[in-house]
Amino acid sequence: MRMSKRYRLAAALIFASMCGGALAAMAAQGWRIDEAHTLIGFKIDATGFPTTRGQFRHYTGRIAIDLDRPARSSTSFTVESASVDVGSQSYTDFVKSAALLHVAKFPTLSFASTQVEKLDPRTARVTGNLTMLGVTKPVALTVNVEPDPSANESSKQSSKRRLVAFSATGRIKRSDFGMIFGLPLIDDTIEITVKTRALTDE
Amino acid sequence: MNDGAKMWPLPLRVIHWISAALVIVALALGTYMVWLVDDPAARFGLTQTHKSIGIAVLALTMLRLYLRIRTSAPGADPVAPSLPLLQSAAKAAHLFFYILLVMLPLSGWLMATTTPVRIPTRVFGLLDLPYPLAPDLAVFRFSHAVHVTAAILLAGLVALHVAAALVHALCWRDRTLRRMGMGS
Repeated sequence: MRMSKRYRLAAALIFASMCGGALAAMAAQGWRIDEAHTLIGFKIDATGFPTTRGQFRHYTGRIAIDLDRPARSSTSFTVESASVDVGSQSYTDFVKSAALLHVAKFPTLSFASTQVEKLDPRTARVTGNLTMLGVTKPVALTVNVEPDPSANESSKQSSKRRLVAFSATGRIKRSDFGMIFGLPLIDDTIEITVKTRALTDE
Repeated sequence: MNDGAKMWPLPLRVIHWISAALVIVALALGTYMVWLVDDPAARFGLTQTHKSIGIAVLALTMLRLYLRIRTSAPGADPVAPSLPLLQSAAKAAHLFFYILLVMLPLSGWLMATTTPVRIPTRVFGLLDLPYPLAPDLAVFRFSHAVHVTAAILLAGLVALHVAAALVHALCWRDRTLRRMGMGS
């Protein structure tokens, strides 16, 4: 942790001294999550029951982007499991119960990236560890990256402010995490979707 | 043979009409929620209501069978044409009603206890229905088939029952329908 932070700082300093610009110092740092444009959702199919789509309303997250060296980017999210919402009080209460999210015992779900890989200019693969029901497993997410979706507006106001929109999708097998309720009538696969925006303040 | 013109005992009349309303709602709700509701949260809530109504029907039917055995039912209305075959058919239909009114809630209960998607049944939010059997996909599928078949048969029987009551009231102008009513 400390090593990588120091390394990142050193890299940023070297880069900054080379370019001499404020922009470079911003690499991998200074980004914050735009909460108004963040949605942490999931989808699960079942036999004899309609597809359930839900989301988590409370979370804390961190995104560090290095646009020039994407591999140095990282992210982590911690989601409040009790903030789940599947559309109604009674249904949500059931999803929170011991059969599924067991929020009384496991108050958070978390994801921390371990590797960021640029696939093409608009796509990255983010690998990381997902912790759910106290079990940690590696998960790979495909992330669509849209640099500066509002570039035209922001360039008029401030050329320094930067904005990147992300749309991440991935699939997990819930049985890997010990969530076996309803198998096989409720699918083992959960589709995860995270839409978010990261922006710099300046 | 009882006097065919006398009224049904009041408790049985009350149970008949409450059951009629609950059965029609349960049949309609069950069909609606399975065929037409695509929203999972709505389906979840409606299923809970459907289960509560079914358990109420089961409880009423138990009480009804007890009262039916303890008290005397009126015989055939003397005004109606005396057709032994029709009277036997009527008796068989009524027996079939009782069988289905027990079978439908019981098969639904069996579904709720044997499904892998075991969701507690809180009858009208008041008491938890016990689940005596372990989840078993084969038993669940069997009980589901029984439940659906029994529901179709019950819907058909309700239609036949209403048609017969109308024939008594409008064609034969006897007291068969009125003696189940709240007047005299």
